[in-house]
Amino acid sequence: MGSVEPIYKLRDLRHAYHHRPVLEIESLDIRRAAIVGLLGPNGSGKSTLLRLLGFIDRPTRGSILYNGHPTLPFADTVKSQVTLLPQEPYLMKRSVFANVAYGLSLRGRSGNIPDRVQSALRQVGLSPERFCRRQWNELSGGEAQRVALAARLVLKPAVLLLDEPTASVDAASVELIRAASLNARNEWGTTLVIASHDRQWLDQVCDDMCYLFQGRVVDTDGSNLFFGPWEPRADGHYEKKLANGQCLVVPPPPGHSAVAVIHPSGFRIVPHKRETGPETGKDPCHLEGLITQMTLRRGREQLAVTLAVGDLGLTVTSAQHEADQQQLYPGKKIRVRYLPADVEWISGRN
Amino acid sequence: MKKHTWISVATLTLILALTTILPASGADRALMMATTTSTDNTGLLDVLAPEFTKATGIELKWTAVGTGKALKMGENCDVDVLLVHAPAAEMKYVVDGFGINRREIMYNDFVIIGPAADPAGVAKKSVKDALGAIRAKKAIFVSRGDNSGTHKKELSLWESTGADLPEKEQWYVQTGQGMLTTINIAAERNGYTMTDRGTYIKYEANLNGNPPLKILVEGDKILLNQYSVLAVNPSNCEKSQFDLATEFSDWLAGGQAQGLIRDFKLMGKQLFTPNAE
Amino acid sequence: MEFLVDGFLTAFQLLFSADEQTFSAIYATLKVSIYSMVASLLMGVPAGFCLGYFQFPGKRQIRLLTDTLLALPTVFIGLLVYAFISSRGPLGHMGLLFTLPGIAVGQTILALPIVISLSATAVESMDRHLRVTLISLGADRKHLLFSSLWEIRHSILAAALTAYGRVMTEVGISMMVGGNIKWHTRTITTAIALETNKGLFGMGIALGLVLMGIAFAVNISVSALRKR
Repeated sequence: MGSVEPIYKLRDLRHAYHHRPVLEIESLDIRRAAIVGLLGPNGSGKSTLLRLLGFIDRPTRGSILYNGHPTLPFADTVKSQVTLLPQEPYLMKRSVFANVAYGLSLRGRSGNIPDRVQSALRQVGLSPERFCRRQWNELSGGEAQRVALAARLVLKPAVLLLDEPTASVDAASVELIRAASLNARNEWGTTLVIASHDRQWLDQVCDDMCYLFQGRVVDTDGSNLFFGPWEPRADGHYEKKLANGQCLVVPPPPGHSAVAVIHPSGFRIVPHKRETGPETGKDPCHLEGLITQMTLRRGREQLAVTLAVGDLGLTVTSAQHEADQQQLYPGKKIRVRYLPADVEWISGRN
Repeated sequence: MKKHTWISVATLTLILALTTILPASGADRALMMATTTSTDNTGLLDVLAPEFTKATGIELKWTAVGTGKALKMGENCDVDVLLVHAPAAEMKYVVDGFGINRREIMYNDFVIIGPAADPAGVAKKSVKDALGAIRAKKAIFVSRGDNSGTHKKELSLWESTGADLPEKEQWYVQTGQGMLTTINIAAERNGYTMTDRGTYIKYEANLNGNPPLKILVEGDKILLNQYSVLAVNPSNCEKSQFDLATEFSDWLAGGQAQGLIRDFKLMGKQLFTPNAE
Repeated sequence: MEFLVDGFLTAFQLLFSADEQTFSAIYATLKVSIYSMVASLLMGVPAGFCLGYFQFPGKRQIRLLTDTLLALPTVFIGLLVYAFISSRGPLGHMGLLFTLPGIAVGQTILALPIVISLSATAVESMDRHLRVTLISLGADRKHLLFSSLWEIRHSILAAALTAYGRVMTEVGISMMVGGNIKWHTRTITTAIALETNKGLFGMGIALGLVLMGIAFAVNISVSALRKR
């Protein structure tokens, strides 16, 4: 797998709206036929990245190599090969059939359009008999989103980019949309890039994760981002005061609004045998909190343990056997430790 | 479902087709005339035009506007012939070289009307005395104020009294509207106005013969209203159809047309008196 | 008030007795309004689309101008057109004065700002997801243009109807440029003006009802189209 060339290579990519930078990516590769999860808070640039990957917009600077070639919007190599499903589905003011068939008819390969449209509708769980003749305004939100997805699937795309595909649809549609998207990868080797807030789903299905923060790719799985204000301490470190009296201690931040990141693997769970260990007094970098959630990370025999420390949520990883030993369970109070050297900084935008 | 689409497309296409296929009616030779609203509104031209076409094979097209605008249209060469009623302006028009062959055709007369109660006491007086009484009593007088032939006539009446025009007086109301509207305004304001007899007859008929405004002054020589026909001067307008205009002028002055004018009645009353020489 | 009832009765009488003069006026009205609508849509829709779709210097000024022209009084347009097509005017040799095409020129000037302004607004308020969707489905620039235009067809139709309403009902241009010539350029509205001047209010109301009937028929046909 490693020898196969990535389907996307992004190099030194910059994008700005009205001179305001929204995306800065030094380097990012996306493997062929992978399912890539795109995480990040609102406004972090996920949708912008998807629009660039979908060749909707032309990046302000830098290049996107698609299959090894620098590619721009409207290129023949990506036309109806790379397709984006925006967060709010837009259906053209035509029948469901015409909406799904639109891409095929543009391609001019008019062979079996009705058959292919029907099969695409079935993939998203819509009965062609009932839906083909409906008008765009005779659908529920979930149905509209599924028709929009069918309009992409009918193209058998090489890349399917999904922007919050399940954010505003009913529960039944969520299942159908998820299944249909995965089916595309499994059946045609479609590369999927999915932006979503549904962390659990992404954890389940994604081969790779990409976390965006303020327009940049950050080396984290998305948890443990700590915002200031940072206050200086007597010992030369800085700290953030938490609601329950504890402090998050960090090395001097590079800027006023810098954001601290601690990778979940940077935290160690302190064995709870000795309540007051000898080293606890010297080392300020530990925190005490309540386990609120434990999830299994796909195929890694690892647990992600989420703690509530005052008003702060943080995630630490723990090997399964370790968790067994320490008898971790939600509701248990535990103590975690980290090294100041493990704190990384993202210089925040003012 | 699709049926609706086809029906509406068909309807719109049909309308489109009809309007382009139907031929515009019209004779080979057409004469363009500008005339005053009074001749058109009374229906006199609707009687004369078909007879003229029958007699000469020329189609008569006319546009009815105020005398001022009619003269302007002739000056701009937009029409071939004029049928108007403002003798002083017509004379000047001929002198200025815009019109030619002015020929008097007929006259009707103007009357001064007012409330039956006659608050200024003008009944049966001469025009000069009547207007003087209105001015003295500051009774409401409603004027067309639109520079039409009728308006010009009214101004000449005021001039004949020897005093200034009551242009800015409170009691002098200028409507800038047509004759009938002006009469209605006079009735609403319980005032006096001057009108041509034809319009008054119509007004009387509209109100079933019992109008609030009555004829109070009539028959004074100054109230006569002379209609004349003028050809547009071909030396001013190269393309004007001078020959057709002359034919029309001759026909109007001829026995047949003069007879038609004499017999033209509105609500049983004669409106115009032919006087072509 | 008597003439109101009278007007309704006369309206039916005119229509069902196939009164020649009334039909001449209806015919003139339809013909001239179709001329001007075809002309203003052919020019206005592409112009409005470009105005709404593309960004270029001076765009805002042009928008301001077309929006201002929406308020053009018809008598002013009539006067303007008369000045141009009068025999002494720069376009006098075309012989448009006192003809239906002449009125159509004026009505086109009346309708054009409406069509341009409303189609530009329709394009501007086009869903921003439309572009994304079309490109995502493999549209090139040409498809993008035509499919976008097709998407706003209902707004364009509404613009056309608004303009048609204005054109059908205007009287200033028809009177000034057409001259209200019987059998030729007498439209329904100039006929109403004439009948009112004559004091035949009932007849005026009858013709007004006829005009509304036509407008009703057009709207019904169009609303059937709109559902598609």
